[in-house]
Amino acid sequence: MSQAAAKSGKLTVFKTDRHEDFGAICFAVLVAASVMIYMAFFLDKVTIKAPADGKLVEMKVAMGDTIKEGQPLYTYETVKKKFVEGKLEESKATETFKSKTPGKVLELKKKPGDAFKKGNGLLVVEHVKGTLP
Amino acid sequence: MENKGAAGGLLGIVPGLALMVGTFLFANWAEEALKPVDFLGYKQFFSRVLNLNYIIISIVMGVLYRNVIFRGTIPAFLADGFRTTRLFIKTGVIMLGSIYTLGGLAKLGFQAAFLISVFVFGSVVLVMWLGKRLNMDRSLIGVMCAACGVCGVSAAVATSPGVKAKPAEVALAIATILGFGVLTMFISPYLGNLFHFSDYQYGVWVGTGILNSGQVLAACLAFNPLVAPGTAVAYGELWNVMRVIIIPFVVFVITVWYWSGNKDDVEAQNVSLWQILKSKFPIFVLGFVGMTVLSSLGLLGQEGSETSHLLRTLMQWIFGIGMVGLGAYIDFGEIKAAGGKPLIVGLTAGTIKYVLALIMVLTIIPKSAPF
Repeated sequence: MSQAAAKSGKLTVFKTDRHEDFGAICFAVLVAASVMIYMAFFLDKVTIKAPADGKLVEMKVAMGDTIKEGQPLYTYETVKKKFVEGKLEESKATETFKSKTPGKVLELKKKPGDAFKKGNGLLVVEHVKGTLP
Repeated sequence: MENKGAAGGLLGIVPGLALMVGTFLFANWAEEALKPVDFLGYKQFFSRVLNLNYIIISIVMGVLYRNVIFRGTIPAFLADGFRTTRLFIKTGVIMLGSIYTLGGLAKLGFQAAFLISVFVFGSVVLVMWLGKRLNMDRSLIGVMCAACGVCGVSAAVATSPGVKAKPAEVALAIATILGFGVLTMFISPYLGNLFHFSDYQYGVWVGTGILNSGQVLAACLAFNPLVAPGTAVAYGELWNVMRVIIIPFVVFVITVWYWSGNKDDVEAQNVSLWQILKSKFPIFVLGFVGMTVLSSLGLLGQEGSETSHLLRTLMQWIFGIGMVGLGAYIDFGEIKAAGGKPLIVGLTAGTIKYVLALIMVLTIIPKSAPF
């Protein structure tokens, strides 16, 4: 405990622990609601980021294409880690990433053969207002 | 906020909070800057050998503030800001509910509840036995039971009125278990890598064996700084939430044990489980469950979507800021002053719990998890 906290006998800025719990619930709801509202109504375009380190095998859409939710966007090669009989085994796998949102493809940031890191932007899609990308 | 009005209270937290946020940003920058650095002949020494990430840097900076720069006392103008630490950690835990589904929670929840109950009540009985052998005061044994059994600070504070503990005894119990927790927090990621634990095994071990909620979180994020389903923090925190839910039941058991040895204490004898549940139930856990319900209904964006990425990035921010404060609560002076019998009891109970949890994971917990 800091000296000030020790003096007041409190570890929180709230009146009681219960107030702190309510404060934390309000804070979490505020953050989650802000994210939902921003993503649904204020975002113009979405940069779709790589879910893992890998290499682009095939881009299944072209610039200007209109895409639907669930439509395959690209396939990529990645290293999968799996425990088999207690040992970590690594194997190459090809995965297909499907769109989580409808929209129009505005930009392709990588081409087949390009390597990428998790979180790198791969393509930019126009955002349809009211949907969660 | 106390006695200053809402505006005064909010203003009071600004300086300390600004320092915590600034430190967290610095820790992020330092992690990236140190990543490529080779040192002592090792490639990427800081990231690969020392496993240094923004979480560990944030905690170490907090420890430095408290113990070196401020010499043991956080200045009054920063204190209120640092006292928002638990708010950040609780908020992060509530948001963490969004990475689970009700099915996953039910699957792992029963296993977690069973293992946690065995370890929590086992520790309580062990501390009662040790305390009796060392002739400690019943009130001090009571808070030590809660601190070692459940999760340090909140449980010790929740139990203290029921066992008529003096503030000094509560501080002693907290300092003892935090001292042990500091050790486990820093060595667990290295032991986890040494035993080649999967994220699931590591989360189960740390969630069962480490005494304090914040330290469980820190140890999980230090092992794997990602917040997502299937990561150490997802499993460790599920175990931790189960432990937090148990707090009122442990408080009840300890209070009943305390008045069974103080038959003349009428006030304590009138305490019922329902009263304790009403006053001590950690309701932020309901927020965690609420987030899991929203996520199960698909209202927080699909798994793998940009919405879920943004939510998780914000969770990492919230946890990271909380970790600076957590480091600043580690006072080496207090830990040193807590010596004597509580230290023996705390170290013995803590070590037994930590090692038994390790043995349990090595023997019965599989590498892969249900989600």
